[in-house]
Amino acid sequence: MTTSRRASDFVVGATVLVVTIVVIGTVLWLKQADLRGKTRHIVVRSRDVGGVALGNPVVIRGVRSGQIESIALGERGWVVLTLGIDRGTTLPSDPVVLLAASSLFGEWQATITDATGLPADRELRAAISESRTTGDTLAGAVLPDIAQLTTLAGRIAGDVAQVADRVQVAFDDQAARELRESLRNFSRLSTQLATTVERQSKNLDHISSDVQLGLKSINAAAANLNAFSSRVDSATSRGELQVIVANSQTAAKELLAATSRLRDVVDGLDRTEGRLASAVSRADSVFNKVNAGRGTLGLMVNDPALYQQSDSLVRELRVLIADVKKNPKRYFTVRVF
Amino acid sequence: MSLAPTPSANSVHRRISAVGRITRSFFGQIGAGTRFVVATIRAMRDTKDWIPEFSTHARILGVESLPIGIFIALFTGIVLALLASYSVGNLVPPYFVGTLVQKTITLELAPVLTGLALAGRVGANIAAELGTMRVTEQIDALETLTFDPMSHLVVPRVLASTLMFPVVVAVAMLVGLLSGWVASLVLLDITTPQFLKGVRIFFTDFDVRYGLVKSASFGAAVALIGCRAGLNTQGGAQGVGRGATRAVVISAVMILVLDAFWALVWLSGRTIR
Repeated sequence: MTTSRRASDFVVGATVLVVTIVVIGTVLWLKQADLRGKTRHIVVRSRDVGGVALGNPVVIRGVRSGQIESIALGERGWVVLTLGIDRGTTLPSDPVVLLAASSLFGEWQATITDATGLPADRELRAAISESRTTGDTLAGAVLPDIAQLTTLAGRIAGDVAQVADRVQVAFDDQAARELRESLRNFSRLSTQLATTVERQSKNLDHISSDVQLGLKSINAAAANLNAFSSRVDSATSRGELQVIVANSQTAAKELLAATSRLRDVVDGLDRTEGRLASAVSRADSVFNKVNAGRGTLGLMVNDPALYQQSDSLVRELRVLIADVKKNPKRYFTVRVF
Repeated sequence: MSLAPTPSANSVHRRISAVGRITRSFFGQIGAGTRFVVATIRAMRDTKDWIPEFSTHARILGVESLPIGIFIALFTGIVLALLASYSVGNLVPPYFVGTLVQKTITLELAPVLTGLALAGRVGANIAAELGTMRVTEQIDALETLTFDPMSHLVVPRVLASTLMFPVVVAVAMLVGLLSGWVASLVLLDITTPQFLKGVRIFFTDFDVRYGLVKSASFGAAVALIGCRAGLNTQGGAQGVGRGATRAVVISAVMILVLDAFWALVWLSGRTIR
């Protein structure tokens, strides 16, 4: 083996190695390959992925946070995407994934957003609800791209054109003449309205002057109120109000004690009332007996002869007593032995 | 009564014969080329014959061709960046300049332009070298000494070319991308993040694989055509010149044919996804 051949071996080997390393390194750099394990993977399922392709960006709150690493058909008509996002990225509390075109030039992106921030689109929300699972898999849905929106806009434009045609049919010459006449009437009406407004504006001037006077009165009242407030403030500052409040407190306490005593009195009255009722009841019974002429008192009350006898007895007693006073020896004899 | 053909019959006969001749020549060339390829593949079994020669040819055909590849890619990248900016103007975001430069350089221009340039250098080199050996009867001498010219002369050149074309093309890809980047920064006021966004947004490693595999096929084709042209050289120095010219022309055409072939095989019906 000659020296030249050895040199050729080295040169060729070095060239091949260097170029291979540089090419592989460049490819990994351009692909933003995750060599240090800084990426965490999130699985998303969706019914469709639209125009999303491998390597498309994953965006959270408008910031690129990773890329789409795989797209595969799943079971039961689902499409399963794997998103690689930076390990330090914090997901929203209820994350869902929206797949949408990011520009008019065929670029798509996956946006991770909170479910509460979804656009108010009934179909989109239904698609997200359908994609939800119980595991770690996120729900995904595709937003309509510009082609679909253009198609829809074209349909709307067609409808508008139809409406315009109908309007054109409805507004024939007769309708135009009537419309012109209506406009003239409207013009006359507006002139009259202007005149009326001019008149009313004068009245409004008077009213406004009255209102101004009223406002002045209100201002004066407000000034008085202000002065009163300041006096109250000064009274407060001298402590008079505190004294009044203390006196009020004392009076309230005394009132409370009087109330308590009054309550006791009322209780006593209640008891007295009970006893009185009982006495009345008994008296009523006695009076009934008296009225019925039962018992001694009944007989005395109801028999006039007994009254007369008693009266006669009393008179005779008075005579007897007078006689006793006059002639005591007739009735009393005192002997010592 | 004369049986001699009429002039009009002679004319028709000549024309039909001409079509037959062209057809025979066409398929004869294809058959000869196929036999040559098969003989080369068979000769690869004689590793003792071609391995010692391999690195020398790899250096001559590959490493020494790097300046050409770098030179072409350098200007191609600049032109592409300007062309992309001129073509799309303000219609698309500026980062699409990066996308266009990356895609065009990697998929097409680096392999094809470098292949065409190397077809001139490598194809002519091989054809002239082997043609000279043929007209000076060195190859006859080898055959007399029972050395197989295929394993000694053809296989190391074909393998070296097949291996080193992708190396040169890979360097051309890198240089083209870098020059496009610098041109975008300096001439187009496109920032580095914008250019890199454009490069990365549609980049797949398939782009690189496609370009390298294609360039390997170009290398094999250029070396095979050059070797065959050299071994079939006749007629002294003039024949050597004719052989070299034929090798370059056929190699250039074959590069474009193979370019279309790979596009049909790998790109037809394929999207970026």
